[in-house]
Parts: sequence; C-alpha cells; structure tokens
Amino acid sequence: MSDVLIRVRDLTRDYRLIKRREGVVGGLVDLVRPRWSTLRAVADVSFDIAPGEMVGYIGANGAGKSTTIKMLTGILTPTGGEVTVGGLVPWKQRRQYTRHIGAVFGQRTQLWWDLAVVESFRLLKKIYEVPDDVYAAQMGVFNELLGIDEFLHQPVRKLSLGQRMRCDLAAALLHKPRILFLDEPTIGLDVVAKENVRRFLREIRDLQGVTVILTTHDLGDIEQLCRRVMIIDKGRVHFDGELEELRRRTGHRVRMTVDFREPTSGARLATVTAGLPVVWQEGEGRRHVAEFRRLDVAGADVIKRVVNDCPVRDLALAEPDIEEIVREIYRDSAAAAAPAPGRSA
Amino acid sequence: MDDAQGTLARLPERAFWPQVRWQAGIFGAYFGQFVKTRLAYRMDFLVDTLGVLASIGIQLAVLTTLFSKVSALQGWSFEQVLFIYGFSLVPLGLFNLVSVNLYGFSDAYIIEGKFDRVLLRPVNPLAQVLCESFNISGLNEIALGLVVTVWAGIRLGLQPGALDVLALLVLAPTAALVYLGVFLAITAVSFWFEDRMGIAPPVYNVIRFSRYPLTIYSLPVRILLTFVLPFAWVAYYPATWFVGGADLKFVAALTPLVGLVVFGGAVLVWRRGVRNYTSTGT
Repeated sequence: MSDVLIRVRDLTRDYRLIKRREGVVGGLVDLVRPRWSTLRAVADVSFDIAPGEMVGYIGANGAGKSTTIKMLTGILTPTGGEVTVGGLVPWKQRRQYTRHIGAVFGQRTQLWWDLAVVESFRLLKKIYEVPDDVYAAQMGVFNELLGIDEFLHQPVRKLSLGQRMRCDLAAALLHKPRILFLDEPTIGLDVVAKENVRRFLREIRDLQGVTVILTTHDLGDIEQLCRRVMIIDKGRVHFDGELEELRRRTGHRVRMTVDFREPTSGARLATVTAGLPVVWQEGEGRRHVAEFRRLDVAGADVIKRVVNDCPVRDLALAEPDIEEIVREIYRDSAAAAAPAPGRSA
Repeated sequence: MDDAQGTLARLPERAFWPQVRWQAGIFGAYFGQFVKTRLAYRMDFLVDTLGVLASIGIQLAVLTTLFSKVSALQGWSFEQVLFIYGFSLVPLGLFNLVSVNLYGFSDAYIIEGKFDRVLLRPVNPLAQVLCESFNISGLNEIALGLVVTVWAGIRLGLQPGALDVLALLVLAPTAALVYLGVFLAITAVSFWFEDRMGIAPPVYNVIRFSRYPLTIYSLPVRILLTFVLPFAWVAYYPATWFVGGADLKFVAALTPLVGLVVFGGAVLVWRRGVRNYTSTGT
C-alpha cells in the first residue's frame, strides 16, 4: 500500500471577481471597465493518497473544500500546480478519468428525478458500459448492504432523503470506481440513516478496496471512517495526519456542562475546583460550563470535586465539534505564520 | 479489476463509427427512458397532440383564407406554399424534440450546477444535455408536417422517385441542424454571461418567417434569413428541391452543407464555453 494513487502538488486555484462600484452609474461603469479582484480559493495544496485510504477533508464553508474536490474530479481546471490520479490528469483526460471515479455531492442527487431508481441504474450501466455480470454482482451487493430493493421501482423524487442517499451511493459505485468522492454524505440524515451510510462505506471499502475522500462537518463521520484527516482553511492545508494526532494537538479538550439543583455562583465553583486546571466559563444560576484538557486532568477528578461540594442534578461531558477543532488549529497556525496572502474577504 | 494499485487503466479510444454507434445507443437509452416516464401521463400526450393540431390547424386556416382572396403569392400557388409549410414542420419537430434543455440551460445547468454532474460522466457533455429531456410535441409536429407535405405533394401531382425520398431523409435532419446550431450558439453564451435578457425568445419568433416562400419578403429580410439567421435553409431552400424549378435544386442541395457549418460553428462556441466553465468555475 506504499504506492500513490492520488498525487497533488502545489494545487492553486484563483477566482476572479468583479469589484462592484456603487450606484447605477457605478453599475454601468462596471460593464465597461470592470475592476477585478482575485480570490485565492486554494493555495499550494500538496498531498498524496494511497490506494484504499479513506481521507476526511474538512474545513468551514468557503475554506476551499469543494474547490479542491472539483479539481480532483476534473470539473474545474486549476490555476496552478498539478494533480495526477493513477497516471491521469482529471481535467485533461476527463472521459477516461470519469470511468474510474464516483461522486456524491451533498444534497444534490446524481439520479434522474422522474425515473424509477432501477431505470436510473440501467441508464448508468449503459453510460459506464458496465458488463452484465458486474452489474448483477454490484446490484446484489447494494441490495444486501443498502436494502435498495424496497424502493427500486419508485421514482427518485418520491424517496426520503435517507433512501435517496442510499441510491446515490449505489449509483456512484455501480461501475466499480477506484475512487469515491463524497461531499457531506450524512448531512441532514437521522441517526439511524447516518449509521447505515457509515457502515456501508466501511463495508464497501473492505469489499472493493475503493479509495474514499469525503468532506464533512460531522466528527462522527471522521471518527468512524477515516484514520487520516486533512483540515483546510482559507485555501491552505493546516493539518494532515491521523485523527488521534489531531486530538492530541488540542489536548483532548472537553467541555463539561453541569446543571445544579440550586443557583450557584461562579466564584463558589472556582474555589471548588481550585488547584485543578479547569476554566469555568461565565455562567449564571443553575447551569454552568467548565473546560479542561484530559491531558492535564482526569475527568473523574473534576467531577468528584464538583459533585461532592454542590448538589448536582445532571452533568454532561462533550468533546469539541470539528468546527471548534478546526478553528483552534487555524488559530495556532495563523499565530505561527503570517496570515495567508491574496485574500481580501 | 486488473489495474495496478497506483494506476488507472486506460480504455482504448473508439474509432469514429463505433463511437457514433455507441453515442446513438446512449441517445436511444435516454429516449427510451423518457418515453417510459411519459407513458405514465398518457393524457398529457393526448392534450399536447390536440394543442399541436389546433395551432397547425389555425395556421392552415389562415393560409386557406389568404388563398381564397388571391390565387398566387409572388408566383407561389396554394399547394406549393402548403408544401413548404408542411416541410418546415419536420425539421422544426426534430429540433423541438431535442432542444428542450437549451431553454433554461443557464438556470438549470449553470446556476443550479447541474452541469457539474454532466462533467462527471464519460459521455460527451453536449450529448448529455440534449438527451436529458425531450419535447414530445416534436413527434407530433413531424407527423403532421409529413401529412401536410404529402397531401400538398399529391395535389401538386409530384412523382417522387427514390432520389427524392433520399433527399427528404437527408434534407430534413440537416435543416434541423440549422435551428439547433443557432440556438446552441445562443445557449453557449450563458457559459460567459447569465442570459438575463433572453435573446432566445425573439430569435425563436423569427422561426415563423422561415415557413413561407422566401421570395415574398423584401430583400433585407431575404438576406437576413439566408446569411445572418439562416432560417431560410430550414424550409424554403430544401423544399425547393421538390417544388422549385430544376435550377433551384442546386441551392437545395447546399442545405446539408449549411446545416453542418452552422451546427459545427455552434459546437466550437459550445466547446469554448465548456472550457470557460471549467476554468472559471462559475
């Protein structure tokens, strides 16, 4: 598994935007002499992905995630840098390349709205020239793992979001692609449906060795699917490594929410945990929030002190969500280096 | 799959004719699916047929009324005008059948981003856009156009030979390419500009002029329809193969060339547009 399937070097993408002038006259002037500004959406991104890897690509909205995915799928031509996937350049050899990839882009279905699911699959079979035996085998796998049998004859527009996502996954994998791109594959799904999608992705990876690149907001997706995480912000990769390493960097920060039986003052809580590296956030009345790092102190010690000294009704520990970690990582690297150039907004 | 771990297998490129055959197969598959979804709405098809019948009926009534006052129009008899009118419906139907996705292309494909999906599939993007929906009225127009043409032909006492049948089979589709080319070029503009003003509808209205003998118009209109918006090549020029004099047969025979040039030029514009789309990522 040491060889490289996806090779990305100094990938850069600029967007040209018109700087709008104000007013009607300004609008007319814009038509004749537009003032352009450049927005660098992706800046000098480099990485390698080995066959069979599952990589989580995360970042806030506008961080450059989808721009990167669009370049990797060949929809968009980069401004600079190079991408080769298995010896092909996605945007140059599109017709060769697209046979080897599958993609599910967020909420937008890749299927035909009015067609019955099975008809969509038949059309895709024709488009991707899937041999009969492969088609039958893949449909068998999808029925077993996704249970798409139940709604195979319904038109796509009548499916629930969860059912549609299952169909979209099956459609993207029908031609047995080597690489699967997923943009927010679990967004909007309920807990059970989310779990189904994750289990399916794990199984299909084990079964067919497909390489998966997924963007997500959901830490659960990353935890259950990806060993490797890449964090992008303002077009730059700020972290590329294992999830465990990411946690370690943030020191396993936890947030503890406590509901007391009676109103409690912040000052009192500060004395209760005096000596422990715990920070109480500003709170009033019965609910207070504390933050600490598991590297510095065991959760049990903090809880023992609080519970012993004050009457507690309920208590919850939560890890920071992915967005918080991303913000933190970005703060760290922004402090380490000068702010990324070429961005005005 | 037998790919090595780090490489993607390259499939051999198809030669020209196998590629055409394959593309035709894709077209057939899309069309078959479309018909299947439409069969669920049989009433729609019936209503549409009645609608097309009514609109063609009205235009025939206008022609009949006109010719009840005059016996000829710039030397064209009722039957000849009728023949040209009927013939014009065949390319128009072919064009309407496949062109439905060109309207609203900017909204559906560019702004909503459906074009991304098109680029993710190993089929020519233009072929996908044209195949993703059809306008079934086109079939009605083709059928009724043939009925009118044949009826006018019988009244004119035409004795069609094998060459004439062949001419019809070649002239009608290549004439449709003229329409398709003009509207494809207009559509492709939305790769650069969001088509807010809508140049397509006024151009579409010019189609009406193409249904009648060109010689009834003034010289500027004739020049416009021959060279600028070459809709005269959709009905008048090709129809003169059948109803014009022998000297006009040569002009009629130019129709396939005009069709291919107009459509070919439009495809070039379209391709540049696709390149612009992938390089600007609108």
